[in-house]
Amino acid sequence: MATSKNDLLTYASSFRMSKGSEQARKGNPMFIKELKLKNYRNYDVMTIPFDDKINVIIGENAQGKTNLMEAIYVLAFTKSHRTSKDKELIQWDQEYATIEGIIEKRKQTFPLHIQLSTKGKKAKLNHLEQRRLSDYIGALNVVMFAPEDLTLVKGSPQVRRRFIDMEIGQIQPIYIYHLGQYLKILKQRNHLLKQLQRNKTNDQALLEVMTEQLIEHAAIIVEKRFRFLKLLRTLAIPIHKGISRGLETLYIRYQATIDVEEEDDRTKIAQVYQEAFKKHLQKEIERGTTLLGPHRDDLVFFVNEKDVQTYGSQGQQRTTALSIKLAEIDLIYNEVGDYPVLLLDDVLSELDDYRQSHLLDTIEGKVQTFVSTTSVDGIHHHTLNKAEIFTVDKGKIKHAKRG
Amino acid sequence: MYYPEPISKLIDSFTKLPGIGPKTAVRLAFFVLNMKEDDVLDFAKALVSAKRELTHCTNCGHITDQDPCSICQDTQRDEALVCVVQDPKDVIAMEKMKEFNGRYHVLHGAISPMDGIGPEDINVPSLINRLKDESIKELILATNPNIEGEATAMYISRLVKPSGLKITRIAHGLPMGGDLEYADEVTLSKALEGRREL
Repeated sequence: MATSKNDLLTYASSFRMSKGSEQARKGNPMFIKELKLKNYRNYDVMTIPFDDKINVIIGENAQGKTNLMEAIYVLAFTKSHRTSKDKELIQWDQEYATIEGIIEKRKQTFPLHIQLSTKGKKAKLNHLEQRRLSDYIGALNVVMFAPEDLTLVKGSPQVRRRFIDMEIGQIQPIYIYHLGQYLKILKQRNHLLKQLQRNKTNDQALLEVMTEQLIEHAAIIVEKRFRFLKLLRTLAIPIHKGISRGLETLYIRYQATIDVEEEDDRTKIAQVYQEAFKKHLQKEIERGTTLLGPHRDDLVFFVNEKDVQTYGSQGQQRTTALSIKLAEIDLIYNEVGDYPVLLLDDVLSELDDYRQSHLLDTIEGKVQTFVSTTSVDGIHHHTLNKAEIFTVDKGKIKHAKRG
Repeated sequence: MYYPEPISKLIDSFTKLPGIGPKTAVRLAFFVLNMKEDDVLDFAKALVSAKRELTHCTNCGHITDQDPCSICQDTQRDEALVCVVQDPKDVIAMEKMKEFNGRYHVLHGAISPMDGIGPEDINVPSLINRLKDESIKELILATNPNIEGEATAMYISRLVKPSGLKITRIAHGLPMGGDLEYADEVTLSKALEGRREL
């Protein structure tokens, strides 16, 4: 299989191919009808049918709830969100593991099949092996919200840059190219700055060349990030308003190292960079590293005009992260034409009743949702009434209640 | 240690070649044992003479068995036109085309601070000297379309531009005879950028 960067590129192009007509877009949710696992993590052999609305998976700690969520994630992306080592997904002492899902999409039913072995993996779409990941990924779209996603708000800027890069990369493959080029030039330029710092060279002309190269890609990256952010914001703000009962207003700002506005195009951004780099020339040589550019930018989330990362409560941070994730659902719908499957791993019980019901109202009827939790206590009874309930115990899953 | 010394030395030598791993080296070494003696001698001679008799042209940097090289000596060629390339193999590629009638300048690399390669470490200074001495009117920069090649081209252009010389960069875009639908996004966007009016 290809490298991860290529995966992203091909992944993104697959999105475009699957873009359906307007008619096909309406009222045909995509969902997983049935899931089969074999030798996957702590599951021996398992076949389980799912509801196209809400599926609640209940189990004690370490019984296999997250593993089940992960299996669905792997079925969609051919790789885990938790580990980069496929070997870890295979049950101890086993040679291979398989995940199979029967998917219904636009009134068509087809199987997806992933085989993981110590030698590599195979992905089959509708019984046919897909050699290029781009031909496979995109058949099933998944959005996952797990406790780790709180780091999107609480964590370091790196987490947010990764998020924004991944999201844009999915929609616009060429973004990944510019990002890759940018990082290469950055590395070269930093080496040159170190040499200048230690007086090993005095080649200002070469530094100017590298600055020019850097700016070319930096301006495109920043421009594309601005455009994406605008889109994400229009989707996330109303969701956030809903979840917080209209009491809180979310705002997301892109914080650049230079003084640019969201409406600026790449030419304008490049100009600002040129001037800023001139000003910082001495400082950059002294420090021996590049001080400006998208690799130092960040996203800042505000709730009621206060920075959530610094001043937000735990709950506000959670609501913010959740709003962003839910906005992703609409973003994918806009780009692809199908609603993705939503995975809520151990997060629903952390939301209060109101937030829960609002969340479930937003997704109601259009998004197949998987909810994992340790107990039903934290979950709104209204939700439970409508949901299919499964219990997980030591790698065995049971259908407990029909919704 | 399982092999007698002469053959283990041979295996060792093959391993030094690019793309040859230990297993291939063993296979090649045993193949050599079964070759005719004359062929082995010719092979050995070819190796030695390639190393001993080939030098770099003092004018353009291309590999040659005579200095200056046959291209630099050729009076039929347009001396006003110089194509700057990274590697001797690039000269061969250009020559195969049989369309270019100027001369070359081989840089032997591209600027890459990461690998400790600055403009002085490749044939940039000799290019500047050539520009002073020869009656060159146009410089075609044909370095590779990657970051290092692009940086090298931009650097040379910056250095030479003040002299008023015509500097051109080779075009990037779609391969001939290909289908538009199979082109990758990057190549396609470069092709779009470099479009020209008909």
